[in-house]
Amino acid sequence: MASIARSSLLRQVAAVKPNPQQTLITNAARTTAFHTTSRRCLLPPLPQHVQGTVNDAAPVPEPSPSHGSYHWTFDRLVAGSLIPLTVAPFAAGSLNPTLDAILCATILIHSHTGFQNVIIDYLPQKRTPRARKFFMWGLNAATAVVGLALYEFETTDVGITETIKRIWAA
Amino acid sequence: MATLRSSASALVGAVSRPALRATTAKTLPSLAVRGMAQVTDAQQTNQTASGDKANLKTFQIYRWNPDTPTEKPKMQSYTLDLNKTGPMVLDALIRIKNELDPTLTFRRSCREGICGSCAMNINGTNTLACLCRIPPENSADMKIYPLPHTYVVKDLVPDLTQFYKQYKSIKPYLQRDTPAEDGKEYRQSKADRKKLDGLYECILCACCSTSCPSYWWNSEEYLGPAILLQSYRWLVDSRDEKTAQRKDALNNSMSLYRCHTILNCTRTCPKGLNPGLAIAEIKKSMAF
Repeated sequence: MASIARSSLLRQVAAVKPNPQQTLITNAARTTAFHTTSRRCLLPPLPQHVQGTVNDAAPVPEPSPSHGSYHWTFDRLVAGSLIPLTVAPFAAGSLNPTLDAILCATILIHSHTGFQNVIIDYLPQKRTPRARKFFMWGLNAATAVVGLALYEFETTDVGITETIKRIWAA
Repeated sequence: MATLRSSASALVGAVSRPALRATTAKTLPSLAVRGMAQVTDAQQTNQTASGDKANLKTFQIYRWNPDTPTEKPKMQSYTLDLNKTGPMVLDALIRIKNELDPTLTFRRSCREGICGSCAMNINGTNTLACLCRIPPENSADMKIYPLPHTYVVKDLVPDLTQFYKQYKSIKPYLQRDTPAEDGKEYRQSKADRKKLDGLYECILCACCSTSCPSYWWNSEEYLGPAILLQSYRWLVDSRDEKTAQRKDALNNSMSLYRCHTILNCTRTCPKGLNPGLAIAEIKKSMAF
């Protein structure tokens, strides 16, 4: 592929300057196409940091099944059990307060672990340790409040299944 | 070769190559220049045959130069005649580098999807440039970026240091204490060997890992689909004896369980593998 034999026409074509106004318009269009949302640098990328040398293996964390496999299995069991719990009262056609309470508790746990996953994903421990802590405790507080509210609702009011039924019919 | 060379030598050849002709031109005016002149003639006929309907295509390519780090990255457009370019995006890139802009930087090696060097983001999809056809029917510009959410070394060259460090951390080699029964080799049944199909083909091009949002946000701790696929390749290997230790290394909240089954990995894999399935299998085998 000797480039001596290759001509310079393409290079000349590339060098021809397009109409500046046209360029401005296309560039503006391109820039707006780049940013569909306004730019807010909440967490701009950090400068690259390499731990150790480039030939070292990335560190392997200590095994902790309660945050790993047990946690995941528990998550799946809760998510799976939600399906029959949701269907059961409507299929049976009758209301059982115990079943209703179990459904409430399961939804609570399910949403708690779900939000936990969101916090772990978007608030990395290394980068935003204080925000991570704040949101984790905020989530715990919110879960406690919702738990208390659901308890009150179940014991003194009609319960969640009946409420959904009434809203549906309304 | 004749088709690859552009037509301009036909147009400006007489002016631009006086040195080549200087020795012979006086004695043999038209037939004298051998070799080069014949190529030029061939090009002339070639051009009249197909030159009228040049099939132009514009490539917009991400450019960033580390020598001028304060300058913002920009998209630079190059227009090529597809009639004179090979069918794949890598052919176009090589032609741009050879003929239009020698400063364009990208990795390439095998040009047949075996080495994984030319992984880049083409028209919004991570793929290998050598396996990606230039769509002939639509005339829209092709947009080429480096792999998303990677530190860029230059232009289309991403820094894969972290990716390789993570690969090293899963110990991607056979670990065994007991010697082989016959003292020769570690034998494996056909069924056991079959389990490795769809895993050993991975070329570690990093297309899947860099398409995974979870890996974008947590690449320091989450291993990413490519490395987890390799991890699974050693977990299911019947000859490997450190399965428990390998599983322990994944048993924390970050390394494996940041996978939320988004399946971008499976969709983007240029080799048609299924990292999503491999990760699901690891999770299943570690449940309880």
